[in-house]
Amino acid sequence: MDLVTRTKLEIFVEAHAVNDLERMLTRVGFKGCSVFEGVEGAGSHGAWRQTGVDEAGMRLIITIGSEASARAALTWLEDYFKSYPGVVAVSEVKVLRAERF
Amino acid sequence: MLENLGAAAGANLLAPAVLFFALGAIAGWLKSDLTIPDQVAKSLALYLMLCIGFKGGVEARASGLTPDLLSAGALGLCLSFAAPFAAYAALRAFGALDRVTAAATAAHYGSVSVVTFAAGSEYLRAIGVEFGGYMAAVLALMETPAILAALLIAGSRGGAAGARIKPTLWREVFLNGAAVVLVGSFIIGAITNEPGRERLDLFVGALFQGALCLFLLDMGLVASRRLAAAPKLNWGLIGFALVWPLLSAAAALAASMALNLSLGDASLMAVLAASASYIAAPAAMRIALPNADAGVYLSLSLGVTFPFNLLVGIPLYHAIARLMYG
Repeated sequence: MDLVTRTKLEIFVEAHAVNDLERMLTRVGFKGCSVFEGVEGAGSHGAWRQTGVDEAGMRLIITIGSEASARAALTWLEDYFKSYPGVVAVSEVKVLRAERF
Repeated sequence: MLENLGAAAGANLLAPAVLFFALGAIAGWLKSDLTIPDQVAKSLALYLMLCIGFKGGVEARASGLTPDLLSAGALGLCLSFAAPFAAYAALRAFGALDRVTAAATAAHYGSVSVVTFAAGSEYLRAIGVEFGGYMAAVLALMETPAILAALLIAGSRGGAAGARIKPTLWREVFLNGAAVVLVGSFIIGAITNEPGRERLDLFVGALFQGALCLFLLDMGLVASRRLAAAPKLNWGLIGFALVWPLLSAAAALAASMALNLSLGDASLMAVLAASASYIAAPAAMRIALPNADAGVYLSLSLGVTFPFNLLVGIPLYHAIARLMYG
């Protein structure tokens, strides 16, 4: 089995940031991402709830790419998180079909 | 006067929509597992706006471009833009809020609540008070100026960390889904007129009350849960959320009377002025003033002011309007 190491970013941001974030990820070299709605939880800004009327909700974006792309994305996110709420987690993962990442 | 007010308040409290709101609030308070799915709640909100906009458009077409329409629109714009400046001063003085959170909260109290408007218009219909269909357009006009005023306040007070003007914000302010449906439905109603209403009679007529009940059930849940998770609210803020609607409604009634608006229009203008936004304003404030505490402004507008207006405010504002109009 031909497994290759890549870097995975798991990013929680407010819904309004998703488009900007997707554009940034493409710009720094990620070839795709998955966006998840319906996530709930709690953090330093209080509870994240999908209550329908008063919450725009948070989104979870998962993307896998090269370490260089991940570093560029993290630089952008570091600046973004100075103003807006969110979380990013970085991990190494093994993937099949490395050319897709 | 007091007897009439008591009877009106009693009738309002026994309206199905209000009782469903109470049911949701009690279920939330008791930590029931009752939930309205997220997408259902959002669909209901869009449906209510479609109905309000469409019916308003048909009625506005029937009445034509009247001086009352222009007066009500101009008054709505002025109230929405001016209110945040006064609300900001009050919140800083009595609520001990930081500048950015005070500005964001002020935006909520200058902007308006569609569901409070829906409940107010249903209340007036139930007691046989007529109002202009163009009030739906006034509702749409009042959503945005308060947000712009809050950005001015935040920007002019030491350049708060937020106030980032970016395309996302303007898109959110002017093209958010709720505003597009409300204004678009108003225009469609005005274009299609009575034949359009006849074709959509069941959808925008008979079904509206049921949908409003379901939506208010969800709002009750949200309001009680929001209030339970609001440890930062002090008595000054709670007092603001209860007294501001009264003062704002009184100012709107006085201005409506000066402009010779009808009793029904004046009552709805008071309801709009007294209401606080929880859809358009929070979305815009999250983008423009991210350092503002959403726990404060949402808890106040949804957890305190919305229930107050729904349970007490709407009949009270109309009773005061009747007293003023003789």
